[in-house]
Amino acid sequence: MKMKTKKATLLPLAAALSLTAILSACSGGGNAEPSAAPTASPAPSAAAGESSGAVDTSQEVKLKMILVGGKPVDYDKVFGELNAKLKEKINATVDVEFLDWSDWNQKYPLKFAANEDFDLVYTANWAYYNDQALKGGFLELTEDMLKKYAPQTMESMPAVSWDQAKVDGKLYMVPNNNVEVNDKVVLYREDLRKKHNLPEINSLDTYAQYLKAIAANEKGIIPYGAKAGDGWKWHEMDQATLEQHNDWNLVDTTLPLAYKMDDATGQIFNIYDTQEFKDLLVYYKDLADSGVWSKNVVSNKNDVWQDIKAGKVASYAAQNLGTAGANLAEMRRDNPSLEVAIADITPDGKKIAAISTQNGMAVHATSKNPERALMLIDLLQNDKEIHDLTMYGIAGENYVPEGDDKYTAGPAAGNYTGFSNWGWNSPLNRKDASYPKEADDIFNSWQSKIYHFPLETFVFNGEKVKAEVANIGNVMTRYAIPLEYGLIKDIDKGHADLIKQLKAAGIDKVQAEMQAQVDAFLAAQK
Amino acid sequence: MNRGGFWSDVSKYRVLLLMLLPAVLFFLLFAYIPMAGIVLAFKQFNYNGGIFGSPWNGLDNFRFFFESGDAWRVTRNTALYNIAFIIVNNVLQIAAAILLFEAARPFFRKIFQTMLFLPYFISWVVVGAIAYNLFNYDYGMLNSVLGWLGMEPIDVYNTAAYWPLLLVLISAWKALGYGTVMYLAAITGLDREMYEAAEIDGANIFQRIIHITIPNLMPTLIILMLLAIGNIFRGDFGMFYNMVGTNGILFSTTDVIDTYVFRALTANNDIGMSAAAGFYQSILGFVTILVANWAVRRYDKDRALF
Repeated sequence: MKMKTKKATLLPLAAALSLTAILSACSGGGNAEPSAAPTASPAPSAAAGESSGAVDTSQEVKLKMILVGGKPVDYDKVFGELNAKLKEKINATVDVEFLDWSDWNQKYPLKFAANEDFDLVYTANWAYYNDQALKGGFLELTEDMLKKYAPQTMESMPAVSWDQAKVDGKLYMVPNNNVEVNDKVVLYREDLRKKHNLPEINSLDTYAQYLKAIAANEKGIIPYGAKAGDGWKWHEMDQATLEQHNDWNLVDTTLPLAYKMDDATGQIFNIYDTQEFKDLLVYYKDLADSGVWSKNVVSNKNDVWQDIKAGKVASYAAQNLGTAGANLAEMRRDNPSLEVAIADITPDGKKIAAISTQNGMAVHATSKNPERALMLIDLLQNDKEIHDLTMYGIAGENYVPEGDDKYTAGPAAGNYTGFSNWGWNSPLNRKDASYPKEADDIFNSWQSKIYHFPLETFVFNGEKVKAEVANIGNVMTRYAIPLEYGLIKDIDKGHADLIKQLKAAGIDKVQAEMQAQVDAFLAAQK
Repeated sequence: MNRGGFWSDVSKYRVLLLMLLPAVLFFLLFAYIPMAGIVLAFKQFNYNGGIFGSPWNGLDNFRFFFESGDAWRVTRNTALYNIAFIIVNNVLQIAAAILLFEAARPFFRKIFQTMLFLPYFISWVVVGAIAYNLFNYDYGMLNSVLGWLGMEPIDVYNTAAYWPLLLVLISAWKALGYGTVMYLAAITGLDREMYEAAEIDGANIFQRIIHITIPNLMPTLIILMLLAIGNIFRGDFGMFYNMVGTNGILFSTTDVIDTYVFRALTANNDIGMSAAAGFYQSILGFVTILVANWAVRRYDKDRALF
């Protein structure tokens, strides 16, 4: 090795350069993978029971359970207590491995691929349930097994929940037993509505009237807040104004393809191609031109809820009822001078219940103790004492029980939270005592309108058309979002552009593929 | 060189070689070995098969990028932005370095240098938020000032035409300090006797800058340029994503390969398709750097990288 003698001038430079090279080599790659964590909303409590004694549990076993989420600070305390109880009840103890939110979706499939030794695992429709069920990662649960080892669950779970959890006619999970409704609501400043004498908000028109009145009369308050540039490919109101208003269901939020909920044949259509969408564009354009949302809404970097709390924004739509309810409670606690309220702007529509596979627990295919694992799930869901302990932590520390079905946050509430104990949500769940009554009322009024339909559990597999799916997503961000937020002057031309670009991106091919999958799905159900 | 000379060389230069070792290990571990992952660009990745066991799928992963019709637009944007950044940034950095060296006393030089360096440490996320509060149509500082002056507000976030200029300015602002230090180091290393001799011969300060400083900075400039050119097809994701975000109205002038691919693939997390896009950029970068190096070689053999 010979060194070329260079001028001395280059020496400090060379040092600096090697540093740059190393720094720049570091800065490559890196993929942010946003993971959606659904929040569990509690339901009123009912029965409690005793576990059946017919099973032989003379042999002590150690169970291993995999849950998604960060390990809670008080894990040792809570699970120490749990294990003492479990030892007594089913002669078993359980040890949990937590897959942190930051990389759970990479680790989760690897646990199966490497066939690690574990007995129970959290699963959900958004957490590889179909995928691993088809790959043989879970133990098939037969009715006999459930009757024998999880009798309480068998008794309290509605039949439709079991059916929804079946993959190709076979059951692989014990779904959570909890009714949630997917429909979205709006949250708005009630004091401003009263001040300007506006009608009650219960439809698209009354909501528009409210927003436009705020825009015209309240200087310094933006009527409607959204974070449109957050990767969501729709106008934030669309779930209410487009889907709920028309009783449509979007198959996959990254594609503009939907079906009518009451259409038994499951005809897939392109939402952007409909007259309803064109009408909605006129509705949005009117709002945009009236100054209802910021001209820079697509670049908004502020947190909408914080802006509402600070009195800078008057309303948001469309959010989960649970989130809106929690925000309402927060406002009452932190800033009672501003009055907010929740409204459903599509009260007459069909309501979609969250399917049961939103959360659940499965048994690993190679578990050595599937019986004891099922017995544990049975206790987690249906034993009041164990359910309270595992859902809320230690009474008096992590939570304060109020009666049988409510709780308030304890001094150490933050030390036992943030992981997927939703897997055993059940009617025993307690409700946050500060959760507002209005939200409950809306929820109760929805219960009777819950609509079940054949395609409820259909999930689209985009593997064959992934190039087209990727490009359609880009077209939606680039052409549909500005159009929906009224930022394109000529909506007819903007709409024609959108349709043209979608065709170029291959929407027809994706639609045909989806239709084929829907048809096959429906045929298999018969 | 005699037989066995290798080992005697090793022992002779052992200190220097030891100093080289961390860098060699670094690149081996984090650049060369992972390069085998390139095969993913041609595979349909699944966790069970892993990197080498997953099935091949030919050029399928490249389809989304080239069938979209946007490949040319984003590739052109990426290259043009980077060329603009390289030229503008280097010119400003050299000018700042010369100015600091010639005009400021050492004490002030340090202060200015630190001040210029400051933006380099501000993360793009923060810069994006600052820009949003400056340029926001409804309450941004720019429009407030224009309002006081009785002028029409400017809608920066809905006008694609402003963005090339804006991004070049922001990039220059952020990179100025770092590059200035690099050039300042090079100037400080120049032989003072050349300047003294020139001064005695009656050269004024501008003549000294044009005939001594700038020509002597050429080697530095060329190396920095060559290094930058290799990355000409890699958009600065942090910058573009935080400044522009997913604002579709601005895409015609601001979309670069990295942001385009990010948007297209965050929805489906397809590792193979991401690898394909990275592979495309690497190939383009590789070809460019070969061509650039060849051009430099023709101009001056000693100044080429290899």
